[in-house]
Amino acid sequence: MENKKQPLFSPANMKLLSKPLGRDNPITVQVLGVCSALAVTVQLQPAFVMAVSVIAVLAVSNLLVSLLRTTIPPRIRMIVQLMIVAFLVIIVDQILLAFAFEISRQLSIFVGLIITNCIVMGRLEAFAMTNKPWQSFLDGIGNATGYGVILLIVAFFRELLGSGTLWGFQVIPNAFYEAGYVNNGLFILPPMALILVGVMIWIHRLKNNELIEKN
Amino acid sequence: MENLLNIFISSIFVDNMIFAYFLGMCAFLAISKTVRTSVGFGLVILFVLAVTVPLNYLIFNYLLKQGALVWISPDLAHVDLSFLSFIMFIAVIASLTQVVEMVVEKYAPVLYNELGIFLPLVAVQCAIMGGSLFMQEREYENILEVSVFALGSGIGWLIAIVGISAIREKIRYSNIPAPLRGLGIAFIVTGLMAIGFMSFMGIRL
Amino acid sequence: MFSNRYIFIYATVLVVVIAAVLSMTAQFLQPFQQRNIRIAKIQDILTSAGIDSKRTNAEELFDRYIVEQRLINRHGDIVDDGRNPFDVELRDELRRLQDLERGRGTEEPVFPLFISEVNGERKYIVPVIGRGLWGPLWGYVALLGDFNTIAGVVFDHAGETPGLGSQIAESWFHKQFVGKRIFDDNDNFVSVRLMRGGANNPHGVDALSGGTITGDGLSETIQTSLENYVPYFRNQRRQQQQNIK
Repeated sequence: MENKKQPLFSPANMKLLSKPLGRDNPITVQVLGVCSALAVTVQLQPAFVMAVSVIAVLAVSNLLVSLLRTTIPPRIRMIVQLMIVAFLVIIVDQILLAFAFEISRQLSIFVGLIITNCIVMGRLEAFAMTNKPWQSFLDGIGNATGYGVILLIVAFFRELLGSGTLWGFQVIPNAFYEAGYVNNGLFILPPMALILVGVMIWIHRLKNNELIEKN
Repeated sequence: MENLLNIFISSIFVDNMIFAYFLGMCAFLAISKTVRTSVGFGLVILFVLAVTVPLNYLIFNYLLKQGALVWISPDLAHVDLSFLSFIMFIAVIASLTQVVEMVVEKYAPVLYNELGIFLPLVAVQCAIMGGSLFMQEREYENILEVSVFALGSGIGWLIAIVGISAIREKIRYSNIPAPLRGLGIAFIVTGLMAIGFMSFMGIRL
Repeated sequence: MFSNRYIFIYATVLVVVIAAVLSMTAQFLQPFQQRNIRIAKIQDILTSAGIDSKRTNAEELFDRYIVEQRLINRHGDIVDDGRNPFDVELRDELRRLQDLERGRGTEEPVFPLFISEVNGERKYIVPVIGRGLWGPLWGYVALLGDFNTIAGVVFDHAGETPGLGSQIAESWFHKQFVGKRIFDDNDNFVSVRLMRGGANNPHGVDALSGGTITGDGLSETIQTSLENYVPYFRNQRRQQQQNIK
């Protein structure tokens, strides 16, 4: 019960937010959630909407599951969690259809795939089931943001090098194209997303030596 | 017939779940350390896909879609329950996974131990949910097309995971820069395999 | 610790609560979603007629430039069954036609036609719908006043297609259709097909490399959708010729 006396943004709580952004990044370290992550990274805008959707779903589902954690019968735990996540994802999907129609069409099935995003289930299982609501909420935001950052970095490079635009605006001046510069079509295609993530893991581990795998 | 063959080939090679859509990457990277486990897990995915996608097709077309309920009563033609599709799909998948888990535990305990946490997680496999969602989005004409698509996708997934695990078994003896070992190189190898698979793009029949 | 009874009640309550909240959300958001779909449709129609629009001014432009909306039956007559042509879905009508041909249905299909007028020039816009390799394709074809020459087209498909078939949604591809003709010199309906070296053919467009099935699907889509309007086009062309004489 000491936890209750902690201020809402105590250092311990802030760590829940900041750790997943660096040392504990869900994608590069925990291998969670790469599934649906990469297919929406051809351009920044859909990637951003995707990241925000994941943040909303993960934070709220973490909160709900944590609130209900003592009442959930262990035998149907998984189903209950899935129901809650699916419920939130449907709401997000409906909202996108209503207010961000174009982007929702671009994201196509990948909004629905947030349900099976391993980050969501992973955090529910590993954190929300055993922690208090507020902490779980922060943990959700932290992890989903860590995921979103990777998404945006990948999308940044893919859009810049693949289409010469950022957020839909052309950033590479026409003079470059006249001088013979061409967009690298490979960046638009799926394989490059994988290779980019591989390179990011490399850089991440160069800085955090303790994460290096043995074999 | 040509159409079916086309869907089959496409879903294995051109629109491979892993290489074109990255579906099921978590388990793909975590399981693919040895060929033996990969084959087992790939078969589980293939089986679950081949059963759940046609099942969800029936549910979607005869229960959820707008006008799907007319077989009960013509008055229901305007009922549109398609917003419930995500939840129905995941419920079907989760229950089937439960069954598969029990079967594997009973008849293949070795595989069960090796797959560990990832077996129950088949329920939240993006590849499987993705199969059902693609089925919904692509509006296949009949159950035959759907089954062929599900089978093809499963086989494509199996080929992908067996391929990468074989490479990863060998790569252990290579001198890779330390920070790139394990996960990093697995991503890059997958990317290179995906480039290889892209050469199938031209073979649309 | 948890009895079966508890588990059962827990699951039931959860499902009921979730279902209730979801239906309310869906109900509440439906008008917005339908408006989005409507605007997307309007924008497609305007684009095929060569009118640029934004989401914000699409409805206004539609009211200004689309001067007439009609329903046409299989014999080329204009009919009015009380429905707004805009709300008539070609997909449903094609299904009705199929039923009729197989002797299962009795309802006559009707087909929507939109007429735009910019600076006194009329264009006749018809919807097309069909299937590509992956799922549905749809679009609009705008014809000039001779009911033969294509003034503009727009095509789209659902979701993401990683293959090369997705080019059909690109505007450079749409531009290739402009000026093509759907009737040959002997006044036979030949539609417009994607074919190798199609750029030099008055009834063809260059095929998509690597997107053969999508391309065939598109040719098929255009043909099966347009042919329902052929009697109407013929009537109009005949009238025009008589007027000239």
